[in-house]
Amino acid sequence: MFTRGALLYIGQRLVLIVFTAVAVSSIVFLGVHRLPGDALLNERRPDPAAEAALLHYYHLDLPLPEQYVRYVTGLLHGDLGESYVNRGVQITPLLLREARVSAEVGAAALVFTIGLGVLLGVIAAVRQNTWVDYLATTTSIIGYSMPNFVIASLLFLLFGVALYNWTGGALFYNSGWTGSYGTLDQILVPGFALGFPYASIVARLTRASMLEVIRQDYVRTARAKGLTSRVVIVRHALRNALIPVVTILGPLVIGIVTGSVVIENIFGIPGLGKEFAASILNRDYNIVIGLFTFYAIIIALANLLVDLLYTVIDPRIRY
Amino acid sequence: MTQPALQVKDLKTQFFTDDGVVQAVDGVSFDLHPGETLGIVGESGCGKSVTALSILRLVQEPGRIVNGQILFRGDDIVTMSDEEVREIRGKDIAMIFQDPLSSLNPVLTVGFQIEEAIEAHRKVPSKMALSRAVELLKQVRIPAAESRVHDYPHQFSGGMRQRAMIAMGLANSPSILIADEPTTALDVTVQAQILELLRDLNQDLNTAIILITHNMGVVASLCTRVLVMYAGRVVEEGPVERIFKEPQHPYTWSLLQSIPRLDSDRHDRLLSIEGFPPDLIRPPHGCRFNPRCQFKIDRCLHDDPPLMNVGPDQDAACWVTMRRALAPNGERRG
Repeated sequence: MFTRGALLYIGQRLVLIVFTAVAVSSIVFLGVHRLPGDALLNERRPDPAAEAALLHYYHLDLPLPEQYVRYVTGLLHGDLGESYVNRGVQITPLLLREARVSAEVGAAALVFTIGLGVLLGVIAAVRQNTWVDYLATTTSIIGYSMPNFVIASLLFLLFGVALYNWTGGALFYNSGWTGSYGTLDQILVPGFALGFPYASIVARLTRASMLEVIRQDYVRTARAKGLTSRVVIVRHALRNALIPVVTILGPLVIGIVTGSVVIENIFGIPGLGKEFAASILNRDYNIVIGLFTFYAIIIALANLLVDLLYTVIDPRIRY
Repeated sequence: MTQPALQVKDLKTQFFTDDGVVQAVDGVSFDLHPGETLGIVGESGCGKSVTALSILRLVQEPGRIVNGQILFRGDDIVTMSDEEVREIRGKDIAMIFQDPLSSLNPVLTVGFQIEEAIEAHRKVPSKMALSRAVELLKQVRIPAAESRVHDYPHQFSGGMRQRAMIAMGLANSPSILIADEPTTALDVTVQAQILELLRDLNQDLNTAIILITHNMGVVASLCTRVLVMYAGRVVEEGPVERIFKEPQHPYTWSLLQSIPRLDSDRHDRLLSIEGFPPDLIRPPHGCRFNPRCQFKIDRCLHDDPPLMNVGPDQDAACWVTMRRALAPNGERRG
């Protein structure tokens, strides 16, 4: 499927991603070390000897350049160090486990973003200026006018409280997440809250793009061939209409990643977002740096994926 | 006389815009006989393309066919269900368009676009559809068809794209092929090749062709009969030799005068038709050509001429006709 040129391109991008990760973590590393106070500020102060031992254990007694070199060396080996607060907890496996949890919610959000967004957009375009169009358009205006935490709170009210009362406690959304994997209903509600605003953006864009493509000559050709209107819409119009939608997928993935920090804290999901807020409040600096690095890598990979998706959807683009 | 393959009767297609109703096609009638090549000529905006699109009911909103019949094998396309029209499109009546680049889907291979034209009307295994696509591409003389069938439209040249369009049109061996300005976007040498291809298809497969163009030269090289349209109406109709030799409508005459001729005297200036095509929301009273006509008489200003017989198998919608307009003794006021 990939030509030699494409593989070369992917290789170059991966090297760049490594550089980006190192650069991001360096900035955060230096920034965090410039903060007043130190990592042990939250500790009950034991005797100075014990504190000195702790500082030595974390190499915090070394000069900053030396700490930095140690950190980058570790990073390049995939080792993000050890938590300051929960001693003995290695950060890399911790984040990888939490990333899986976040990925479940993020994937659900992405499915809502693309699936619901494209569906609403296509329906609105095909039924332009009818009540169906107005309904779909209004829905998407509501979607991108509301911040995700408002949507999250409303969903809580609806599925956590209203549904509980209505079904007499038989069926409801249970917040709080036991175990590392969520059940389907535990994933879907936060996934919707996270994805709905972006689904609205995708819907608006798909609608506009479809309306433009439907008037193209090749759509007329497709109809003149005697294809059914379903084939004309899906195969000929939608595929071309999705090209601009793929373009904004990169920024939307970033939105989902950053939005997950809010959503995971509201829904109590033990993912990267929750860890992000907690580690900052706990001054667990190693985790903070690790998380920033992680996010940088995820966003860079998502953008690479979007760029590769172009070649799949539009054969005129080749790397 | 054989039964016509297609009969258009008093077709009216109008566009309902915010500014008013555009009478794009206003009472067009003609017959197309099996195996015939009919040319429809006229300036941009005279309604020739809308006539063609109306035949397959491909006119887009806000356009609508408001009157008339389009009889194909005894059935009226205007009143058919969408499904019945869909079955005719591409199978019995195929259509190819002006700009072959924008008329081909950029994200699908040329072969696939031909295959789906076949599969829209017949259940065939995909291998057979592919080999039929290759066969069609060979028929329209695309070199290395076996490998080019997997190419995308942007990998084809302009002429090859139009050949691919024609191959697509021929996929189901239609009895009628409507070609809407098939050579306009192509350069002259390629134009000639495409016209030659269309002529061969007409002779070998006996496909009736409706050729829509603004180019009189293209008509002369391919068609046996011509329909001249002006402002949504047919103003003259007849065999191509008659129309070229003795045009009777001043509009046809002016069109022919505006073609540069190698054999004419160098000092003759090319004649251009003064003015612009009329506003089709509020067409002029009387003959629609009267504001631009240099031979008009009083009657033309308020009385709309119908198509009248002006020669063997030749009709023109004119009160004056060129025979009288160019007569030496000036007996014009008739």
